[in-house]
Amino acid sequence: MKRNTLVLSVLVLALSVATFAGDIKGKVSGVSGASVVWVEAIPGKTFPAPEKHPVIDQKGLMFHPHILATPVGTTVEFLNSDNVAHNVFWTSISGNKKLGHNLGTWPRGEKKPFKFEQAGVAPLLCNVHPEMAAYIVVTPTPYFAETDASGNFTISGVPDGKYTVTAWHEGAKNQSKPVSVTGEATVDFTLTK
Amino acid sequence: MDSVFGKRLCSLLVGLAIVAGLVLLLPKKGNAIPAFSRQYGTSCSTCHVDFPKLNDFGKAFKDAGFKFPKDDETYLKVPPVMLGAPAQKELWPKTIWPGTIPGLPPIGLRMNNFFQVVGRNRGRFGAYSAPSSIPQFIPRTDFETGLFSIFTAGNFGSEIAFWVDDDISVAGGNGNGGLGDGYLKFVNIGRFMKLPKDSLSLRAGQFELDLPFTQARSYNLSGYDIYQQANIGAMNSMFSQQNVNNGFAFANVAQGVELSGGHSYGGYHYSIAVVNQNTSGVDQGSNNSAYVPSATGSNNGGVGFASDSNFKDIYGRFAYRFNLERDSASRNDVQAAGPMGPRDHTSLRLGTYYFYGRSVQRYLGLTPAPASASTVLTAREPFYRVGGDFNFNYREFNAYGLFMYGRDHNLLPVDSTGALIPLPISTILPVGFFHGTAAKFSGGFIQTDYMPLPWFMATMRWDSVNASADRINGLAGSTAGSFNSPFNSTRNRFTPGVQFLIHANIKTSFEYQFRPQQAVLVVTDPVTGLPVATNPFRTNAATVGLEFVY
Repeated sequence: MKRNTLVLSVLVLALSVATFAGDIKGKVSGVSGASVVWVEAIPGKTFPAPEKHPVIDQKGLMFHPHILATPVGTTVEFLNSDNVAHNVFWTSISGNKKLGHNLGTWPRGEKKPFKFEQAGVAPLLCNVHPEMAAYIVVTPTPYFAETDASGNFTISGVPDGKYTVTAWHEGAKNQSKPVSVTGEATVDFTLTK
Repeated sequence: MDSVFGKRLCSLLVGLAIVAGLVLLLPKKGNAIPAFSRQYGTSCSTCHVDFPKLNDFGKAFKDAGFKFPKDDETYLKVPPVMLGAPAQKELWPKTIWPGTIPGLPPIGLRMNNFFQVVGRNRGRFGAYSAPSSIPQFIPRTDFETGLFSIFTAGNFGSEIAFWVDDDISVAGGNGNGGLGDGYLKFVNIGRFMKLPKDSLSLRAGQFELDLPFTQARSYNLSGYDIYQQANIGAMNSMFSQQNVNNGFAFANVAQGVELSGGHSYGGYHYSIAVVNQNTSGVDQGSNNSAYVPSATGSNNGGVGFASDSNFKDIYGRFAYRFNLERDSASRNDVQAAGPMGPRDHTSLRLGTYYFYGRSVQRYLGLTPAPASASTVLTAREPFYRVGGDFNFNYREFNAYGLFMYGRDHNLLPVDSTGALIPLPISTILPVGFFHGTAAKFSGGFIQTDYMPLPWFMATMRWDSVNASADRINGLAGSTAGSFNSPFNSTRNRFTPGVQFLIHANIKTSFEYQFRPQQAVLVVTDPVTGLPVATNPFRTNAATVGLEFVY
């Protein structure tokens, strides 16, 4: 009897945890290449800044990675692995020019950190090589995902609730949709330029 | 509204409308993708400020033999084709040293078009029309196709660089442009002698001399006057004549070899070139000798050429560029570390150059008495050009200039009695030459460029050439109908201009040239009895250029 009670309790607990941490799945179509999908800010809820510092590298006259999605409060480190001089700047974050910033010049091989305190998309540029471009998608919550080659995505660990989910792709218009998560939810996007 | 203000506003609006119209009419798509852009997948502006003007990185790229100064292979988006595995090097000399060729044919094309308006003077030229001849005419407005050029450049591995450019078409004609530069450059051959890096390179072929400021790859619509100055001595019999007919000009290409070293983006730079001399002897086209093979190919006996002399002209240049950044690491780097990103250095370059050559003229003459047999006399006229230059750069402002002094020896023909023979030689045959008054000229230019925006550059240049022989020759010519002779010994030209980059590879330029005064009418001065030019005028010209490379 005791054993049955224990098994039942574990089952209920597991089910309740599963209910609290669901997935948002879906597909982004209409565009080619990677997109980023995230859950918009949740009123009354804040999240600690991630301890991990992702790196944006400049190598072979290209930014690596081309798209970096990371939650607000993240410190991103910028590295130049090339033997030519580079620079990193962004003119705005999601169109807000007050958030534009220029990291200037720093020694090659060294990392220069910058903490992104505002959510939005920062289009990275290099003032020496105008063809270089990359994007840092600073998400308001830690619930985000990057699409695979087919446009599919899964945002894991989203608590049950009602949210607004936004999809972004470089060169396309953002699209937001409401979604209700109860264990698992599906939302698809068709982006246009 | 104030009428003056209204007119200015109208002028401004018309100007803006023209610029806007020009921009709207031009293609919208396409980035700069000439030869190197394609290879490295990068924009023209990686190497150029305002093509073809090089920035500091572009200078380093050129110095390194058309490749990135370090780790070139990591930047190539199109891998080179191997002409042998690298391990073949271990077999040498029992195998050919392995090299590479670019993965894509590194071809760039350049085309430009012009529109020109010349000052209000064409009516004056009618006075010089010879009977039954076509009236002299300078078009008041003119659309003109410029150069359509092909250029190819790159690196064959083992630090061997190449460059070939050819004007396929000039002014709408086919194949009349000819070869510009065509050379191989063996970069950093000093490494075989354990010399410091980049201290010795060798270039061979046909090339523009290592001029302080390039003419062949100039971004200006009009050339530098002093570079086009050939020294033609005074030929007017009213003046002391000069037997100087030296067509050499710095704008000309040279054939030969050149040793060079250093960097053009900082520190020292030198070059020493040995090139063909300027002669009036048998040119290749007139080479009919059965004993001298021709360079023109199989029907003419294969590869060879008629040579007029074993003597070669010599050109030398030395310059030192002081990068003026405070931070030593930045000062010695290819580009300076600015607070808003890498940029060109604040710098001052000082340089000097010297050209020594012989201008050869040949005459039908006589051997000295008593033999007095017919012979060919050769006047090997020594000449030199010497000068200095500076180039100052501060952020978006660039000022540079050059001074040149030219001197030709002047060998005057004498007859068997030692008396000077009036020029041009006609009935009396010379037996030798006598050193007369040297033919000299001097001059130069100063130019300032200002780029307030990465796509907009304002330029201002002053060209000045002082050559009394030019004026004298012009006066002599004017009696036979010349309408383009300089009025003064010094020809000044002021050329303000603007250049707009529509894309990194498309540019429109405008220049207004305040030309030198020219003589219209020649009368005889009643006091001196010498010809005097009157009614001077200036054929100022406004030129618009539209250029693209791809």
